[in-house]
Amino acid sequence: MFKYIVKRILIFIPTLLVISLVTFMLSTSVPGDPVEQMLNSNSEMGSSANAIASERAYIDKRKQLGLDLPIFYFTLSNAATPNNMYEIPKKFHRQNLERLVDKYGNWSEIDQYYKNIRAFELKTGDTPRDSANGDALIIIKDNIQKTYLNYDGNALQTAFRNIEKEISKAPTLAALQPSFSTLESSYTDGVVKKATPYKKYIPALHWYGRDNQYHHWITKFFKGDFGISYQDGRPVKNVLWDAVRWTVMLSILSIILTYLIAIPLGILSAARKGSKRDQTISTFLFMLYSLPNFWVATLLILFFGGGDFLGWFPAYGVGELDSSMSLAEVAGTRVYHLILPMICFTYGGLAFLYRQMRGAMITTLSQDYIRTARAKGLEEKEVLWKHGFKNSLLPIITLFASVFPLAISGSIVIEIIFSIPGMGKLAYEALVARNYPIVYTVVMFSAILTLVGYLVADILYAVVDPRISYNKK
Amino acid sequence: MGDSNNTDQRQDYWSYVKRQFKKNKRAVISAYIVAVMALIAITADFLANEKPIVCTYKGHTYFPIFKEYAVDLGIAKWPKDLLNINWTDTKFDFAIRPIVPYSPTTQDFFNSGFVSPFAKQSVASTRWRHWLGTEGIGRDILAGLIHGTRIAFTVGIVSMSIASLIGILLGSLAGFFGDNRIKISRASMLMGFIFLYFAWFYAFGSRSYILSDAIGKSIVSFLGQLLISIGIFIGALFVGYASGFILKIIPFFRKKTAIPVDIIVQRLIEILVSIPRLFLIIAVIAISKPGIMLVMVIIGLTSWTEIARFIRAELLRVRSLEYIEASEALGYSRTRILLKHAIPNAISPVLITVAFGIAAAILIESSLSFLGLGVPPEIITWGKLLSLARGSASQLWVAIFPGVAIFLTVTLFNLIGEGLTDALDPRQKK
Repeated sequence: MFKYIVKRILIFIPTLLVISLVTFMLSTSVPGDPVEQMLNSNSEMGSSANAIASERAYIDKRKQLGLDLPIFYFTLSNAATPNNMYEIPKKFHRQNLERLVDKYGNWSEIDQYYKNIRAFELKTGDTPRDSANGDALIIIKDNIQKTYLNYDGNALQTAFRNIEKEISKAPTLAALQPSFSTLESSYTDGVVKKATPYKKYIPALHWYGRDNQYHHWITKFFKGDFGISYQDGRPVKNVLWDAVRWTVMLSILSIILTYLIAIPLGILSAARKGSKRDQTISTFLFMLYSLPNFWVATLLILFFGGGDFLGWFPAYGVGELDSSMSLAEVAGTRVYHLILPMICFTYGGLAFLYRQMRGAMITTLSQDYIRTARAKGLEEKEVLWKHGFKNSLLPIITLFASVFPLAISGSIVIEIIFSIPGMGKLAYEALVARNYPIVYTVVMFSAILTLVGYLVADILYAVVDPRISYNKK
Repeated sequence: MGDSNNTDQRQDYWSYVKRQFKKNKRAVISAYIVAVMALIAITADFLANEKPIVCTYKGHTYFPIFKEYAVDLGIAKWPKDLLNINWTDTKFDFAIRPIVPYSPTTQDFFNSGFVSPFAKQSVASTRWRHWLGTEGIGRDILAGLIHGTRIAFTVGIVSMSIASLIGILLGSLAGFFGDNRIKISRASMLMGFIFLYFAWFYAFGSRSYILSDAIGKSIVSFLGQLLISIGIFIGALFVGYASGFILKIIPFFRKKTAIPVDIIVQRLIEILVSIPRLFLIIAVIAISKPGIMLVMVIIGLTSWTEIARFIRAELLRVRSLEYIEASEALGYSRTRILLKHAIPNAISPVLITVAFGIAAAILIESSLSFLGLGVPPEIITWGKLLSLARGSASQLWVAIFPGVAIFLTVTLFNLIGEGLTDALDPRQKK
């Protein structure tokens, strides 16, 4: 048994590592730039001093978040792509440069072209603004942004032509001409003419070593440091703890409720299998099982939550707490707010557990020893509860272990509808806001809980039923 | 099994299953209702459409709905008269309109702002009544429900087809071959491993932008490009496998090693099961552009584990049966035994999982569109209709009807799954 547990735990590790990889890779391919989102200011239109300052802030933030490192230990790319692509700070620029590399395959030229755009941008930013060139400057800056974000030849040419036209409009802008000419020629004569597209068909492997984003994250994770939430700068540990409490509380309460309702119903059904009572309970629970929980939630809110019908319960939230409230009042507020979500959490599992209990009980009741118990004149009640119930508990106990992780992660929709600040809502919002540290941590924890749940289930099997052995292969 | 004296009843397996299934009245009725709903899904365009089925306009007779199919396929163009026409308001000389004369996206401006099915509606006649009311911007709920049926059924069927394909493939490999029944030489293994990199590189690495641009264009062009990529991938792998023969000169590489298929598949299942499914789906949808096809593919890609487990367990049982040993003794190839003898005898439990899986897939799709994820704005689904009911309490019908539709469909498929469980599980046999 001990050997089996150790073996299972050892198998966890590669599984967890793969899960961590999957989440990590998924997150890095989500569009959008977390740094930009955090700074929330994109002052490209300002003077060059402004632009430099905002770029500095961008680079600092990126460094602080550890996003300036290579993503993984190695990249499997091609000979056209440089191995230090990750050093280019802005994600949108980087993506566009990658496109150019894919199209033309000559990094040295593309790099020069990119530097020329930046030089030209700075120069434009330094040009003093006056009434004669104000509009032209805005259009030029706008088109500079287009060159950053386009890789298509036609789009770039249009941008160049627009810039050229605006430069000729105001005499004060003539100083920009040489810088612009270098930029344009570095594109037409450099990038386009000296294209080496064949290079992208030569595989190349770049090795970065341990100083990469993934390595830093995963080593810190196993040390218990989950990083900082991008949204509010709080440690992920604290954010997560606040959320986990709600979800775990809801899950445990609803599991207890489910067990309290489903087990007696299951036994009652099994005791008179095929009777009217059995059929009614079965059908009713089966229908409950098929009810979509978001529909039930919507209807409950419509009827009982603050609406026009019966505004008995609050429609969302977990209640405002006052420091002057007594413990009973606190509990009262919480329960009052959580009744509706609790119903939604509970009813779905009822049918599932009930069927398991009924099935197990029916199997047990058809055993020989039950017949013996009846034959020796035991009361039906005693047969049912003492012999039947005890021996059908096996699947029910083990289910607890596998229901628990499901309850933790399977609450996304309900938590969003009732705006309960639990794991599901947190994960969903973090995903939408590209708050990667939270996303990683939530997924990893759900995975660990699930794996542990299955392990506990297996161990419980063996504990409850000594006939099960895990030692023989 | 059956009674051999009973000659008027056919004794083969599937007619036995059919008989068992028919004993379950609820499941049979469900199957009939599902068939009717499938019919609604197929003919949705003719049941609820702002375009007439037949109409005469300025002296010409048109079949606008058929015309629209032709235009969508690119084999016809709208005649000038009908090009910018408002289908609902135009007075045709003669028109046969569908039962519901609204498309799910038609906005009835006179009845916008959640008009109840029982309220007085500003419509020309009872013919134009919104029988199930309207939502905020005046779209007809009934039309949305009818077209939503099509989405729900497509989601269920497409995603479960994908799931069955993957599940049966991986499950049968794991169950039939186990950990030590596929053996290849060390040479082929090494070369295959090396060429895996090249296969990936040329099939997906250097074609990544071609593929991602194709997704943006259309799902058909993406599938085309994907097929090319898969072709390259398999080709490269085959080259690698075949080139192993050079290495076989060295005795060390000639030795055969087993591929632990079962362990690999089991781990794969474990990984997929450990990541919260809805979360995984939401994450993938967040990366890509919204599209109903994407939702189906993702649901399919994440729901094959149960099927694989079923098939694996069945094959573990089947492969030790005598007739498999007999066919091995006859010298049939492994692939032939697997495909012709083992899988057909193990496939029936998959039907159960598929029935429950369709119900689950429809639920997932409606939760996603309820949250406003994945499905583009111009497509009306049950979940999306339902989400319109959030916020104000006076829109009861918007919440009731789509909810009933989802509930009904899910229940029906679950009941069919039940019936199949009873019919296919020999332990339940009376």
